[in-house]
Amino acid sequence: MYSVSMIRKELVAASAEPLILSLLSRGESYGYAIIQEVKARSDGKLQWTDGMLYPVLHRMEHRGLIKARWGESETGRKRKYYSLKKDGKTAMARHQEQWSLVHSVLAGLRKEQYV
Amino acid sequence: MFDLEKAIADWRRQMVKAGIKTPVPLEELESHLREEIERQTGSGLSEAEAFRAAVHKIGAAQGIQSEFRKVEAAKEDRQWQLAQIMLVAFTGLSPILCASAAFSKHGVASEMTPGQLISILAAATSLPLLAWGGRLSYRLFPVIQTKRAREAIHLTYLLPVIFWWIGFLRLILPRYDFTVGQLMVTLFWALFPTMGVCIGLLWGIEAAARKKVAMAGS
Repeated sequence: MYSVSMIRKELVAASAEPLILSLLSRGESYGYAIIQEVKARSDGKLQWTDGMLYPVLHRMEHRGLIKARWGESETGRKRKYYSLKKDGKTAMARHQEQWSLVHSVLAGLRKEQYV
Repeated sequence: MFDLEKAIADWRRQMVKAGIKTPVPLEELESHLREEIERQTGSGLSEAEAFRAAVHKIGAAQGIQSEFRKVEAAKEDRQWQLAQIMLVAFTGLSPILCASAAFSKHGVASEMTPGQLISILAAATSLPLLAWGGRLSYRLFPVIQTKRAREAIHLTYLLPVIFWWIGFLRLILPRYDFTVGQLMVTLFWALFPTMGVCIGLLWGIEAAARKKVAMAGS
């Protein structure tokens, strides 16, 4: 098995929105936590440039997929919390459909390779 | 002695200089920076090293700002499409509404000669023709890229036209003793064509600038 090297920029960009939507579907969160969780779940392979997350979040907020509120951390620091909106849930479902489709086609081809 | 607050303040200044706006999203980015610094110092780094690592992780201000610009551009694009739809509706409906008002039961049509009626309908139609003509011939207009410059130009023709309307309605019109029909014709021709020219110019200049931007971005 080849080890996973640097993931292509386009793939990282394309997977950002579905990842964020899926994470937020489990409850509201904030920018820093989202990045840490993605990093943890991917064993460090998906490392987003921290600052780049925020334009993505703002675009999703503007399109009505997520909403934001200012809150406070336990140490009293201001934090912007994001949560999923109804349109976001539909968008997430659509993303999942499309990723499953691509995955199943690729998996099918790989299976054929070893036959 | 490394001063963390001063370093963060300097970082903020750099972000603002690159175009990152306050309070959103600069506050968010700073909050993120501080959390990362905390995490790094928690893992044993000094404040100075943690600060440098956190700043590096957040990334270059220009990159972040250009991404934010793209979001802003998409937002503005949608607003522009909406504004255009409203302009079409307004310019298209005005002559129709005027005509139906004139020909309604209590309308003035009965007191006007056929020639006068045709005249005011022509004046009302000049509004959409001039407006849409301006929009469709956007290629003939100069491309003025900065919004401020365009706004200034719009003012240079809108203000005189507004003064014309005020002057006409308050100074010129009262001097004449018109019949209803003559009054309608004078009013319509004083107001509608000038409104059409203004909307046509505004629409054409805005379209020229935005089409150029759209082509440059593709």
